[in-house]
Amino acid sequence: MSGCPGSRTMDFSEKEGKSESETGKRQSQLRQWPIQFHLVSPLAPYFQQKDVLLVADCVPFALADFHKDYLKGKSIAIACPKLDSDQEVYIEKVKALIDDSKINTLTVMIMQVPCCFGLVQVAKEGAEKATRKIPIKQVVVGIEGGVLSEEWI
Amino acid sequence: MEKILNKEIKGIIEKHPEVGKILDEYGIGCSPCSVGSCLMKDIVGIHNLDPQQEATLMYRIEKAIYPDRNVPKPKVDLTKKAAPKKISYSPPVKKLVDEHVLIKRLLALIPSIVSYIEKSAKVDKDLVLRCVDFIRNYADKYHHMKEEDILFKYVDENAEIIQIMYKDHDTGRNHIRQVVEGAESGNKAQIKEHIFGYRDLLTQHIKKEDEILYPWIDRQLSDTQVGEMFRKCNEADASVGDALPRKYENFIKELEGKFQKEVVK
Repeated sequence: MSGCPGSRTMDFSEKEGKSESETGKRQSQLRQWPIQFHLVSPLAPYFQQKDVLLVADCVPFALADFHKDYLKGKSIAIACPKLDSDQEVYIEKVKALIDDSKINTLTVMIMQVPCCFGLVQVAKEGAEKATRKIPIKQVVVGIEGGVLSEEWI
Repeated sequence: MEKILNKEIKGIIEKHPEVGKILDEYGIGCSPCSVGSCLMKDIVGIHNLDPQQEATLMYRIEKAIYPDRNVPKPKVDLTKKAAPKKISYSPPVKKLVDEHVLIKRLLALIPSIVSYIEKSAKVDKDLVLRCVDFIRNYADKYHHMKEEDILFKYVDENAEIIQIMYKDHDTGRNHIRQVVEGAESGNKAQIKEHIFGYRDLLTQHIKKEDEILYPWIDRQLSDTQVGEMFRKCNEADASVGDALPRKYENFIKELEGKFQKEVVK
């Protein structure tokens, strides 16, 4: 069990789940398209004055109630700080979200693995370049699906 | 137990002093409160104890009030989040906490200022009125108004704890009116009594806000409300400009310089 924690092989298929209600269908809370950060325009109408999530690609797979607890009522962009190229574009897009689309808040959701914190850095750099100031929150999700921390930064 | 939860804490402690002692053990200092009109259920909720602590506290209180009753062992609601180890404020609330720091710096200087006034042949009216100007325009207008006009609007303004905060603000204003009267008439005793009254009031008031009230409000705010409140506070600050907080920070630095020298003498 060595190497990069971001790509280390782990198997928790034997993990016992707590009794959960799996009955009924849930509605998607996604209210926009596209969502990939290179594809979205920061000036899109669905970002105007909204609370925005900037989410690492893996987060919604790990967090079972992502739609209900986080996506509901918010707009979203997703990215991978480890694999995506041209991330300076992301920094400019964060700046444009804050200054031009006048977003209300930005919540950066990342996995607990160290490489994921690069996405927080992208958000911070974009916010520093922006003229407007907004509250930014960091949510760290564990690889087994729990929320490890949630705080304003 | 439902009945107890909806009763005012003062009445409960008067009738069952043991309850005050139990609350003290949990860092809930209701016993010395002069108002005591908060409901028991609000007090327990506002302190954000972890589920185990809250269940044990309620069990002990019920046993203290009804020693003969067969009170069931505490049931723990594990779905409730445990209290965070350190207080983490949202950005707009953090700004209000930071503003307390400058106010606390003045409060720390008050004993030296009073001692200087007592030793002087004549009351230094200019010094007293400059302190009053800080209190009225920075502590009250710049800071308390953001609480009253913005922050408190996000919670039930009729909640006892908010009413107590309003009352503290009014009591503080009354003390300062008396300080001004004392300065105008050269009455040292009047200045001393009311500036110390203000210091004691604000010291407790700020502690309550930083440790209890602000975290309680923060826990109720949605992300959308945090963003909205941040914008409103920034607009309020922009309406007075950067010069105002800078002016009062310089004033406190000047006082600290002056009275540090006085103390060294």
